[in-house]
Amino acid sequence: MTAPNSMVFIIDDDASVRDAIHTLLSSIGLYSEVFESAEEFLHTERPSVPSCLVLDIRLPGVNGLDFQDELEQAGIRIPIVFMTAHGDIPMALRAMKGGAVEFLTKPFQKQQLMAAIHQALDRDRVMREREQELSSLRSRYETLTRREREVLNLVVNGLLNKQIAAQLGVSEVTVKAHRGQAMQRMRAASLAELVRMTEKLKGLPQRHIY
Amino acid sequence: MRACDTSAREMATTVSPSTEQACPTELASPRARGTADDSGHFSNVRRAAESRSLSAIRKYTLTVLLVGSALGVTALLQREFPYPFLFLFFAAVMTSAWFGGRTAGLLAVLLSTLAVDYFFVPPFYSFRISATEVTYFVAFVVCAVVASWVSSSKRKSEEALKQIRNQLELRVAERTAELQISNAELRQSEHQLRLLTEVMPQQIWSARADGSVDYCNQRLLQYVARTMDQMRGNRLLETVHPEGRKSFGQAWQSALSSGMPLEGEWRVRGAGGHYRWFFIRAVPLRDARGTTLRWYGTNTDIDDHKNAEQALARTQSELAHLSRVLTMGELAASIAHEVNQPLTALVTYGDACMEWLSSDPPNVEQAKHAVGRIIKDGSRAGAVLHRIRAMFKKETPAREWLDINEVIRESVAFLRDDFAAHDVSLRTDLAPSLPKVKGDRIQLQQVVLNLVINSIDALKKATGGAKDLAISSREETETALIVRIEDSGVGLGPDIAGDIFKPFFTTKPQGIGMGLSISRSIVESHHGRLWATPRPRGGAIFQFTIPSAQA
Repeated sequence: MTAPNSMVFIIDDDASVRDAIHTLLSSIGLYSEVFESAEEFLHTERPSVPSCLVLDIRLPGVNGLDFQDELEQAGIRIPIVFMTAHGDIPMALRAMKGGAVEFLTKPFQKQQLMAAIHQALDRDRVMREREQELSSLRSRYETLTRREREVLNLVVNGLLNKQIAAQLGVSEVTVKAHRGQAMQRMRAASLAELVRMTEKLKGLPQRHIY
Repeated sequence: MRACDTSAREMATTVSPSTEQACPTELASPRARGTADDSGHFSNVRRAAESRSLSAIRKYTLTVLLVGSALGVTALLQREFPYPFLFLFFAAVMTSAWFGGRTAGLLAVLLSTLAVDYFFVPPFYSFRISATEVTYFVAFVVCAVVASWVSSSKRKSEEALKQIRNQLELRVAERTAELQISNAELRQSEHQLRLLTEVMPQQIWSARADGSVDYCNQRLLQYVARTMDQMRGNRLLETVHPEGRKSFGQAWQSALSSGMPLEGEWRVRGAGGHYRWFFIRAVPLRDARGTTLRWYGTNTDIDDHKNAEQALARTQSELAHLSRVLTMGELAASIAHEVNQPLTALVTYGDACMEWLSSDPPNVEQAKHAVGRIIKDGSRAGAVLHRIRAMFKKETPAREWLDINEVIRESVAFLRDDFAAHDVSLRTDLAPSLPKVKGDRIQLQQVVLNLVINSIDALKKATGGAKDLAISSREETETALIVRIEDSGVGLGPDIAGDIFKPFFTTKPQGIGMGLSISRSIVESHHGRLWATPRPRGGAIFQFTIPSAQA
């Protein structure tokens, strides 16, 4: 077996259910790991591949919905597919408000489960890509000097070289040099791309991702 | 009584008129006689007899005296008149007959005849009568006899008349007294009746034959807050609830036309505008020919009764429903879970099996494994259903040797969803290798379930703090186990602690108050005890003991 390119974590206190899901996922070539409790899941090491959580509402010790909040507070962002043997609307509402991908009622169809898992994995993949892009941008941004960052901020705010030079009290030539250097270091091909990059760094346009 | 009766009758016929009044009361009224006592009668009879003999002596003495006086006076007058003056003898005879009766009259006639014959009919001073004087003498005797008879008869009829008058007077007096008594009695009974109609809890009214009301008792007037004038006529109808007015009107009309009593339940408007249920009944008063003269009606307040009846009916249906729904509701989630878990596994294994078989080449080993799990989960689902069915089935208690810990675990398994849903953290502390107990598994599960559900409800009500529920089992003595269910919920107020095991006692809005009562009877039927105590740090502890097999 090659290294997994995705991972599904299953938490259900019912051995039969978690093993059945595990078996089904492996029959279609998806990697999964099973846990009896939320506690157990927290103590495991998770590979950095797109992953999701298939979580039963009813868990020993802690309720699945509360566990969702706990993960959120701990900064662990992992898409969750909820399962329940008997759910009600308030439960489903709370799960979806908390960002759950799906709220499945047992027994569910394979298609429902698979669609939910794929959606969750895609969401995590996008999230991971964005995270990665962001961290690469951040590391590139960190290579800039203080003066280059100043120039960059003024450029993306729409100021002309001349205006920047006046504001910073340097010559227009110097501004041009800083600007060229910054664009090169940020690997931006155009001014428009540079603007998009800085906006991402500010964390503004998250909504455009979904 | 009879003695007096007979003697009185004798007196009336044989005794002289002057003595006939000796026993007037007895003679006058048979009713009055009824009131005298026997000794009184005997003395009366004796007195009557005495007075009879006394007056006999007196009247004959009187006769002799009268005739003697007549003789003396006539003898004196003889000197003055040329003819014998015999009228005074007639006067003596008549007077004797008047006062002494017929016998005294006849005695006077005899004495007068002798005296006249001897002294005044020639030859004088001899009882012989000369032939010329016979006619004169016979005429005298006949006149004397007639005078005596007329006088005594007259006296007798006068006496009889007097007696009848006396009797009549007595009877009138008696009747008057009776009438006065009965009048007083009537007034009193009328007063009592009136008092009764006012004192009775019922509302009373009466109506004329045509149905128009002409009397209402105070209670009715007070209830409807109307004056008598406001109730007169056909206005009773106005006080009936609009919904029942039509049916009351029809019932009343049909009663009036048929003469059959009116009976029914209607709501009647009270002073404050509120309505209460009344049983209204009216019966006709008929004369000898069967014509209805009046109607008498009563309105009996049956509102409390009616409400209680309705409440009872409601409670009964609620009870029947709740006992089902409650148990079902409490357990529905668990049942859904218990059944859906194996079904989920089963379906998912089925899907996996399909995948293994559809792959190229088919992975038969994996498929076999999946099918094995399908079979296992299928029978597990069956077992769950079987267990649930057993739980709801009414069966005669089946006593078997049980592991109490197993019973607890099975019961708790049914409620695991509830623990999760209400953030209850459950701690079980079951002593290992406990001796077995003899009991009914389903019933004991029911006890544990009831107690745990109670604790969960108490925890739901509690605000703040950890929601802890602890279940423990241990050996209490060599012959008994104890199971303890402890929660940090709202606890038992001292005001309710004594009542919680009573049937229908509940503090839950949806509760029917049977859980603890049933639990206690189950435990007691197992020769154990079930009781509750407050938990020192807040909450409640329920524990029950159950006899165990000796180790």
